[in-house]
Amino acid sequence: MDGEELSNELAGLIRLVAAGHRGAFRRIYDVYAAQMHAIAMRITRQAPLAADAVHDAFLQLWRNAGRFDVSRGNPEAWLISIVRYRALDIARRRGREVAEDDIPEQVDEAPDPLAQLASSRDSAALNACLAQLEADRRRLLVLAFVEGLSHSEVAERLKMPLGTVKSWIRRSLQSLRACLEGAG
Amino acid sequence: MSDDRHPVPEELHVLAGEYVLGVLDVAEMRAVRRRAMADPAFAAVITAWEQKLAPMANAVPPLPPPEALWARIEEATAPVALEPEDEPLRSRPVAPAAVGPHVEPPLVPRLRAAAARAAPRARLWPWQFTTFAAMAVAAGVVAVAVLPTLGSRLGIPPGLIGGPPAQVAALLPPDSQTAGFLAEAQPNGTVMLTALSTVTVPSGHDLELWMLPPGGTAPSALGVLPAAGRRLTLPQMPRAGTQLMISIEPPGGSPTGAPTGPVVFAGSLGHASL
Repeated sequence: MDGEELSNELAGLIRLVAAGHRGAFRRIYDVYAAQMHAIAMRITRQAPLAADAVHDAFLQLWRNAGRFDVSRGNPEAWLISIVRYRALDIARRRGREVAEDDIPEQVDEAPDPLAQLASSRDSAALNACLAQLEADRRRLLVLAFVEGLSHSEVAERLKMPLGTVKSWIRRSLQSLRACLEGAG
Repeated sequence: MSDDRHPVPEELHVLAGEYVLGVLDVAEMRAVRRRAMADPAFAAVITAWEQKLAPMANAVPPLPPPEALWARIEEATAPVALEPEDEPLRSRPVAPAAVGPHVEPPLVPRLRAAAARAAPRARLWPWQFTTFAAMAVAAGVVAVAVLPTLGSRLGIPPGLIGGPPAQVAALLPPDSQTAGFLAEAQPNGTVMLTALSTVTVPSGHDLELWMLPPGGTAPSALGVLPAAGRRLTLPQMPRAGTQLMISIEPPGGSPTGAPTGPVVFAGSLGHASL
């Protein structure tokens, strides 16, 4: 099944979940939980917290599936957003004081996440626009997204002044937006 | 990215992007969420960023969640009633890791969890007879299908339900399938209401129980109901299909003899033959 078929299937499954269909709910879990868990793990850095984020995301899906509107676009992006917000909330609440010395071994620092990103079919437009950013800024943006780092955590991690981090991110987002809207 | 309601300033496009990227601190995230709730155009900008940035998440290789996670999710989302199994989806091939064991948690913990969740959601509901009737019919279906097993698993003595045919009803909030009270009517006219969740009654108010026989047009008052439940005695056992409902009333019960406040739980009695 390619990406588009999966997305269509997911949109249909979400409608079934909105009607209380537990089989559809389970199916979404079977197909997407591993990706959602991986995302949550990168952001929370601790297995129990990552599991909590996925748990909360699925509860939110169960309760709010009726609010998903197909016209919002790709339903996978919706799922990814739900789990990221739950993970970010948990990570920010915990302050991630253990972040630096308690990185679980399963979470390897990919040398360049863009290499993997390139293989995703859905990401062609984003990829092309990211490629137009300077390499340092692009890596900073992907790092911030994947690890869920705050402005100040990015600054600390990259040993850069906070103001520089903020302005890099702001300009990168502006460039991305111009590029993506230009690309339609 | 913006829509035609009003143009979203560049500054807010960047803020929405920072929010979706995940670089904001807790206070900033809260402020963004508050604004998004009040400003649909801004919310749409956030959605657009979510769509655009989500492919970055593919940079993370999948990592299967712990085996026990599905059971937790299932328990937390379980309906209070045992529903007939969903039609199995015609399943297409899935990665082997995705085919986990299907753990069915025991009913009683699920019931408690569901009931606990139901309590804070006992939302207020303007009294509307037609809606109540429709709701009670739906609840009745659940009660008849489910409660025999439920009664026994709840530790209700078998004689109570199993002897001569008693009747039971799960009393549900209007917007949920999680029971707030279990009602059992005995042939001798005894009706026992047991709270299945911690029911919070707004201060300065009482719960009042009402009964509406099949074909009846106006419910009759059965008195104030403590949040933990109570036992009451009727001249005879209510007929099958009798609707029970609980409304929120001024202290001491409705002054008019009819429900004046919102109906927070309702259900329809049905035979519970074991």
